[in-house]
Amino acid sequence: MNTLNQLKDIIHATFDIDPATLQSDAPLADYGLDSLSLAELLFVVEEKFDVAFPQTPDHIDTLAALAALIDRTRSPQPA
Amino acid sequence: MKRRVVVTGIGMVTPHGMVADAVFDALLAGRSAVQRWDQDMPAPVLAARTEFDPGRWFTRLQLAGVDRVSQMAVAAAELACDDAGTAPAGATAGVYVGTGMGGAAALDQAYANLHGKRRIHPLTIPAFMPNAPAAHVSMRLQIHGPVLTYSMACASSAVAIAEAARAVARGDLEMALAGGSEAQVVPGAVASWQSLQTLAAADCADPVRACQPFASTRSGLVLGEGAAFLLLEPHAHAVARGARIYAEIAGSGFSSDALHLTKPDAAGQVRALQAALHMAQRDSDVTIGDVGYCNAHGTGTVVGDVVECTALRTVWGDAIDDLAVSSTKALHGHLLGAAGALEAAVTAMALYRQALPPALHCDRQDPACAIRLVQPGATVETILKAAISNSFAFGGANQVLVFKRAET
Repeated sequence: MNTLNQLKDIIHATFDIDPATLQSDAPLADYGLDSLSLAELLFVVEEKFDVAFPQTPDHIDTLAALAALIDRTRSPQPA
Repeated sequence: MKRRVVVTGIGMVTPHGMVADAVFDALLAGRSAVQRWDQDMPAPVLAARTEFDPGRWFTRLQLAGVDRVSQMAVAAAELACDDAGTAPAGATAGVYVGTGMGGAAALDQAYANLHGKRRIHPLTIPAFMPNAPAAHVSMRLQIHGPVLTYSMACASSAVAIAEAARAVARGDLEMALAGGSEAQVVPGAVASWQSLQTLAAADCADPVRACQPFASTRSGLVLGEGAAFLLLEPHAHAVARGARIYAEIAGSGFSSDALHLTKPDAAGQVRALQAALHMAQRDSDVTIGDVGYCNAHGTGTVVGDVVECTALRTVWGDAIDDLAVSSTKALHGHLLGAAGALEAAVTAMALYRQALPPALHCDRQDPACAIRLVQPGATVETILKAAISNSFAFGGANQVLVFKRAET
């Protein structure tokens, strides 16, 4: 399963939001996520993907942006 | 300006359920909610747990960073509004909340994760902070006036009610929600209570009867959890809208022992009782002879129960047998920051329904606790005109509330 679909599953499990309604490029705020629920989501994502995001991840306003951040954080850094 | 203030709504989230009338019935019937708490603890422990499904009050999305203590507060506050048939809102409404431990579960989890070298939830602070319950109630109901939190251990929510009643009486507010919430039945908090050696013996044959206020066999308190809120409004306003009035808040008295952090002091309690009775007489024509029932603080500790009885005997003197006393903590446990509010609600309901919750688990009354206990099955013989609720806390904070029966 790709990162985006995994994310949709996590959002469903965490916030009970229907994954079919989630558009990858729509603002997360459109689904009712505010700064607190986004913090909760990032925490859950870090646990599930076993990653640690930078202190304040910027520009996480869409699912696509979050998926890209996860992929960047997981892939080995170029030497 | 001094207005009469009445209770027109009661909301409860308790070990006996969330329907106030049914909770009161359970207390009248002497049903205990105390059970063994099956948790991996250093020693066996008893608690009065509250069954509570936050899904009725919050979406999963809304629950981000909301501790159980705030969930139960919002539920009890909304239930009080439903019960009153009105809801406070805007700048002339206030929220007054007592809590002893705030979001204990959030903090407990954070420490467990810290010591287990796991990540700490990023919303631990907003979940834990003791003013979160009041803030959540204000957001839910759009209350823009004073949104205040009181924390003086076992007296927290009794103080919140007294302060809210004063604000409404002064004319500062048109309506207030006053109450308390406590969700302390988490491993770290319970183990800390155990370590303080104030809890009732958990190895007893019948855990249901473990909390035994005023009995010679009492061995300590049993922790409970839950929330309770009262909706307060001016008497004239309640009458104008045809509201059901549970009782009038006739007076309140606060005193500080200024003596010892955990040991109660009869002299301090006497001062609170006298201050409350003085105010009730001055403002609402309630005499000490009108006060027929006392919902005692009565936690069931060896030291505390004697001191409270001494204070009551000092104030009532030769008339002490005119006062019927019970501690409903025998049945619902000690809700700490929510105790004062739950017991204030029970006291108001005793006046409204003209029925006294009995004193349970006191087969042999301690001679040092020489007060007249409400016997199971006893009925009110003459009309109960007024009643008091005592809340005497660690830290030496004593709060007494006087309720007066509404005219019919």
